[in-house]
Amino acid sequence: MNNIVVTGTGIITSLGVGKEETLRKLKAGQRAIGPIRHIRTKHCDLPVGEVSCSDEELKALIGYREPGIITRTSLLGRVALKEALEEAHLSGETGQRIAFISGNTVGGMEKSEQYYHDFLNNCEKNEYIAMHDCGACTDVMAKEFSGRFDLITTISTACSSAANAVILGANLLKEGRADIAVVGGTECLSKFHINGFNTLMILDKEPCRPFDANRKGLNLGEGAAYLVIETEESARRRNAKAICRLSGYGNACDAFHQTATSPNGEGAFLAMTQALKSSGLTAADIDYINAHGTGTGNNDECEGIAMMRVFGDKVPPVSSTKSYTGHTTSAAGGVESVISILALTHSFIPANLGFEEGIEGHNFKPVDHVMENVELKHILTNSFGFGGNDSSCIFSAIHESPTPSSSEVLTNDNRCYIQSAAQISLQQPLGEEWFQNPIIPTEAYNESIEPDYGKYIPPMAARRMGKLLKRAVATAVEALGGHPLPDAIITGTGLGCIANTEKFLTAMLDNDEEFLQPTYFMQSTHNTISSQVALHLKCHGYNCTYSQRGTSFDSSLLDAFVQMRLGAIHSALVGGQEEMTPDYFRMLGKIGYWKEGEVSTHTLKKADSIGSLSGNCSLNMMLTSRSNADTFCQIAGMDMLYEPSMEELLNATNRLLRKAGLDVCDLSAIVMGLSGDCDNDRVYREFRNACCPETPEVWYKHLFGESFCASAFGVYAGAVCLRQKRIPAHLLYDLSEDIMAPKHILVHNHFHNKDHSLILLSSCQ
Amino acid sequence: MENLILELKEEIIEVLNLEGMTPADIDENAPLFGEGLGLDSIDALELIVLMEKNYGIKLANANEGKEIFKSVRVMAEYIKEHRTK
Repeated sequence: MNNIVVTGTGIITSLGVGKEETLRKLKAGQRAIGPIRHIRTKHCDLPVGEVSCSDEELKALIGYREPGIITRTSLLGRVALKEALEEAHLSGETGQRIAFISGNTVGGMEKSEQYYHDFLNNCEKNEYIAMHDCGACTDVMAKEFSGRFDLITTISTACSSAANAVILGANLLKEGRADIAVVGGTECLSKFHINGFNTLMILDKEPCRPFDANRKGLNLGEGAAYLVIETEESARRRNAKAICRLSGYGNACDAFHQTATSPNGEGAFLAMTQALKSSGLTAADIDYINAHGTGTGNNDECEGIAMMRVFGDKVPPVSSTKSYTGHTTSAAGGVESVISILALTHSFIPANLGFEEGIEGHNFKPVDHVMENVELKHILTNSFGFGGNDSSCIFSAIHESPTPSSSEVLTNDNRCYIQSAAQISLQQPLGEEWFQNPIIPTEAYNESIEPDYGKYIPPMAARRMGKLLKRAVATAVEALGGHPLPDAIITGTGLGCIANTEKFLTAMLDNDEEFLQPTYFMQSTHNTISSQVALHLKCHGYNCTYSQRGTSFDSSLLDAFVQMRLGAIHSALVGGQEEMTPDYFRMLGKIGYWKEGEVSTHTLKKADSIGSLSGNCSLNMMLTSRSNADTFCQIAGMDMLYEPSMEELLNATNRLLRKAGLDVCDLSAIVMGLSGDCDNDRVYREFRNACCPETPEVWYKHLFGESFCASAFGVYAGAVCLRQKRIPAHLLYDLSEDIMAPKHILVHNHFHNKDHSLILLSSCQ
Repeated sequence: MENLILELKEEIIEVLNLEGMTPADIDENAPLFGEGLGLDSIDALELIVLMEKNYGIKLANANEGKEIFKSVRVMAEYIKEHRTK
């Protein structure tokens, strides 16, 4: 993969706005960590890397004049995005297929924590309710581009989010799905995560000292950074100047503990090793490591051990630039990629500020002063997240062309099958009872039917798991069945463990930021689900989490599908996990999510008002590259589109069908996310009428309810029908007789007519 | 002292959600971490919150917990000596 180049970068952190100021301060060894100004918290003794601009000043920087509200997370993101797009000369209609992938965890929390009581008790801040989740932030950021992104998604793997955005972007380029990918992450400080990290007792009251024997913890920071990456051919085609290469990357899971790193840094070791392998470089080729280096006792010790495992007694110069910016969490992978690129292109190594004394057992010391005039060819940058979501990327000077490993080859022979699936929902759990005897919900608020978890989770592990985590683990164990451990675990979740988020948030607000429990905080991060499954299965493979509202599951599936097409993985556990709480139900109800009064199939079909019925979603499916007699179906093709016109949607469908050697008339059914919400249903109906007006309609939300991950049930329902060789009448929208022996099923999903996905399932019989 | 030990056991069961356990199941002289109850670093943080909330004892550093949480008895002795509420 030596042909991916970077053609634009943008950055904002406490160091300043844009590359120029960042570069100047990096070279001057100027730390930008100080007292908290924008957040009202009693923890004002904790220093942070705060961006000095207020929200209004950030708006001025991008000339923001759009109606409606915007969160600080999105504003920071847009400032960085603007710079990256400008440098890459991306504007207006480009004729290129462009993906936008943003890492984010805090989402709109910085506003939600201020208005939470309003959300619950009055209607004054209702407009912020829909801005709470991570995907909403990405959606608002997408408007910064004067053209239109063809695909957007959000990755939420805590502190490695942005690095994983780089990795997904590169995979989309390699698979030919996108010509250009804009990748990175954004995060603003919030009272919520300042308190959260504080309960973990890993915040230093002084400026942090990464890799120092006397380090006391990290300083939180905020910021955003994005990279424009594209194939060399694309850059040449449009005369964009290539700044450097993205020559390799790796993602692995430590699968050791929810917050702590394993003593030998296994996940970090695997991520760095994979990055080297994919770049065709050897350890000796790396000239500088921009370490994760948070400044906590645990991270720095274990990251150092992992580096010693990779580099032996020749660990290259190392520094953690978190000593300048603080830990910008979800943005860190982007921020440190851009800093690495600045180092690469300006031939200097930033200092590891605050360092005095090395860690016992480490055979290296970080660079304690800025080194100028150093020739740098290859830089490795590490980003590690809670739950052991560890990723590494390698950037190389533009004139360097390492020979890539040839293990990944894109061919049409690489297939993707749904081999098994397991669900916990409003239906009878962990089986296909619903296929014969469905439960028909009659109210807008619905609880899942829980199985006995004792069989799946030992009591000591179960005791601190919220319901959603238990469901995720149980469905993962069931879906895995007798299969060997998967090469990847990928989860979609729009809200994560919202019950835990609420518990922590409520306690923080009610107890004046005192006596907060770390368990609730660490389980509020979205990636806790995917990493908990990895931890339970002891699976060190690729691990990622998507949080893109109604296409969170679809994004996970796309990631797995693309990597399987590339031959990078041969199996994956892909899930959709969502839970609803009474409070969140009430809040979403205020902005029109739910039907009032009794719900029935009849009222849903009328679709004469907005709102639907709510569901919980816990589904895991096992994807494999080979089929056997038990296979549900093949995923013959898949696409995701952002704000497509009807024509583009139809073109994408035709492309999908043509690639599979099919025509519209070959479709046995179209699975639609009809939910009884008139606005939602209209979009499905328009597409179906334009695409395949004769094709029978399958629906599923009348059985599983609506949630950000409900589309997982659409794919699941289609897959079960293909394996059972029957579409039961209860899934058919306006037919009363079963359809026998379906061959090909198209699953269409959309969220607010913005994010769309198309998934083509084919029978293996 | 024995009352405090019992009280503490009940609180530990509650805050760490040790479902199905009773105070009698916890040996106050056995280690809380590692072998004994098998608790981990997050549990230690939860116990630090417990001490602050119920007994007004504030630890500045998580490492201080290592000595205090050796067993329920050691923890009770520490609380008896340092409690502010």
